[in-house]
Amino acid sequence: MRDAFSNALVAAARRDPKVLLLTGDHGYALFDAFRKACPDQYLNCGIAEQNMVGVAAGLAKAGFHPIVYGLAAFVPIRVLEQIKIDVCYEDLPVTFIGDGAGVVYAQLGTSHQSTEDIAALRAIPQVSIYSPCDRFELTACVEHIVSERRPAYLRMGKADLGDVHGGALTNWTGGDLIPITNTGASYLFVGTGSGVKLAQQAATAIGNADVVSVPCLKPFPALSLHKLAAGREAIVTFEEHSIYGGLGGVVAETLMGKFVGTFVRVGIKDQFSTLCGNYPFLMESHGLAPHIVEDQIRKALDASAQYQ
Amino acid sequence: MKKFDAVQLRKTILDMAFAGSTVHIGCAFSIVELMAVLYRNHLRFDENDPHSAWRDYMVLSKGHGVMAQYACLHQIGWLRDDDIVHYFRNGTKLKGLADAHVPGVEVTAGSLGHGLSVGVGLALAAKMNKTDQMCYALVGDGELNEGPIWEAVLFAAQFKLDNLVVIIDVNGFQAMGPTDEVIGLGDIQAKFNAFDFDAVTIDGHDESAIDWAYQELKNRKDGRPKALIAKTIKGKGVSFMEHENIWHYTRLNSQTYEAAAAELGGQA
Repeated sequence: MRDAFSNALVAAARRDPKVLLLTGDHGYALFDAFRKACPDQYLNCGIAEQNMVGVAAGLAKAGFHPIVYGLAAFVPIRVLEQIKIDVCYEDLPVTFIGDGAGVVYAQLGTSHQSTEDIAALRAIPQVSIYSPCDRFELTACVEHIVSERRPAYLRMGKADLGDVHGGALTNWTGGDLIPITNTGASYLFVGTGSGVKLAQQAATAIGNADVVSVPCLKPFPALSLHKLAAGREAIVTFEEHSIYGGLGGVVAETLMGKFVGTFVRVGIKDQFSTLCGNYPFLMESHGLAPHIVEDQIRKALDASAQYQ
Repeated sequence: MKKFDAVQLRKTILDMAFAGSTVHIGCAFSIVELMAVLYRNHLRFDENDPHSAWRDYMVLSKGHGVMAQYACLHQIGWLRDDDIVHYFRNGTKLKGLADAHVPGVEVTAGSLGHGLSVGVGLALAAKMNKTDQMCYALVGDGELNEGPIWEAVLFAAQFKLDNLVVIIDVNGFQAMGPTDEVIGLGDIQAKFNAFDFDAVTIDGHDESAIDWAYQELKNRKDGRPKALIAKTIKGKGVSFMEHENIWHYTRLNSQTYEAAAAELGGQA
């Protein structure tokens, strides 16, 4: 996925000399290819994310398309006000890349984890939010964002989970849902980012479930979800993000009053990580290990069945 | 009538503040001469197009002083008389802080510490585009409390933005009192010199000194960004407002409006 990211950036910069890559002193090896291919389009802005976003806004006002890279804990969280005022209010073509979203930086602790970025940005007008699940979605998202030339946030989470899709998404209409399976199963499992893999694992374990990926959370493809949700008994959302304001939130808001059935949000509960541990440990501590997720879903389905 | 006449600009500010029953009069009055000389003799712009690609950039980072910029834009003709007399009416476009949706206003400011970074980006863009465009970014002394200001200053020096002039309005006050009593700034010129800026200090109400400083700083193409430290008086021009920080918050009534207008005199 990281190679795909590097390749997509290089391709975008080669196509358009106004595309610039700004980093807050992060991404050492990640940008080797970019620095070699487009050295004049690469700016290390130092460990000063607030200034970096303001500078990006100034560059955008003068005709450039800055791509601002940082860890998701800093871009967008540390610079939320700069994104709101300097970029979104003027609808400037600045792309924000939040890397390591979720609990990817497990052992480094809370300062480097980001489980609130989608929620924070969703309430800001003008900005689109993308959360690809594999290298194919990532490539398609970057191409779409660059062509849109509007404020956008690309959330990059756990990058080494392997492919979800079988190949390039040549027919993807930017922003739409991507059904992975659509067999008319009783349950619809809706995932974004690393949550898609989790949804696939749960679907295999529980059965009778279709899986759909959500690469774009805003603008949210409400009509597509309504069509996919019609007739299902249960809908479950999966995300490596707080259950407040992320995928679970937007799906609930979209289906409220239209969908009558069991609804389960699988995601980060309202708590910080306090103990040190690797990525699987952190996921398990947040209730996102596959066996805990399956147990959560089965209990919800069983409870619903008792009331019928 | 002299273009961008300081007395006339202050009268426009006074009229706006009275019409809209607004605050922030003192911090607009302190930057009148700085704005007037800039617009009159140095800032390059197309009177028919506020967005012309070749324009110099006037970034009002201390967005609270925006009425001083509105008065200048009114003189150019980008704002109409209606905009002045209907200030703060529902449905109008001029707000109480700088807003980039207004023609001629480059940044949305007032949340302090934002505008300078955007100005640095504009100056960098001019360098990358190999144009001779200048960027003038006006910050308040109180605004120097904000961390991003110093991020921007470090960046500007690193990227050798000698087309950037940071104008510091040193009126000695911030919202809750004298800057020395809130967060003391010490020797501002020494601080900017220490950050590898080419800095000069002048009387911010002496138009000749301001004119000299703008020209001098623009001519010094030595790779160093510029700082124009302007010693000013908050509320300058009206005796009962000068050095009285209450005019950051106080609205005019008929008596104070008439008294201030009488002191300003000049042409109506």
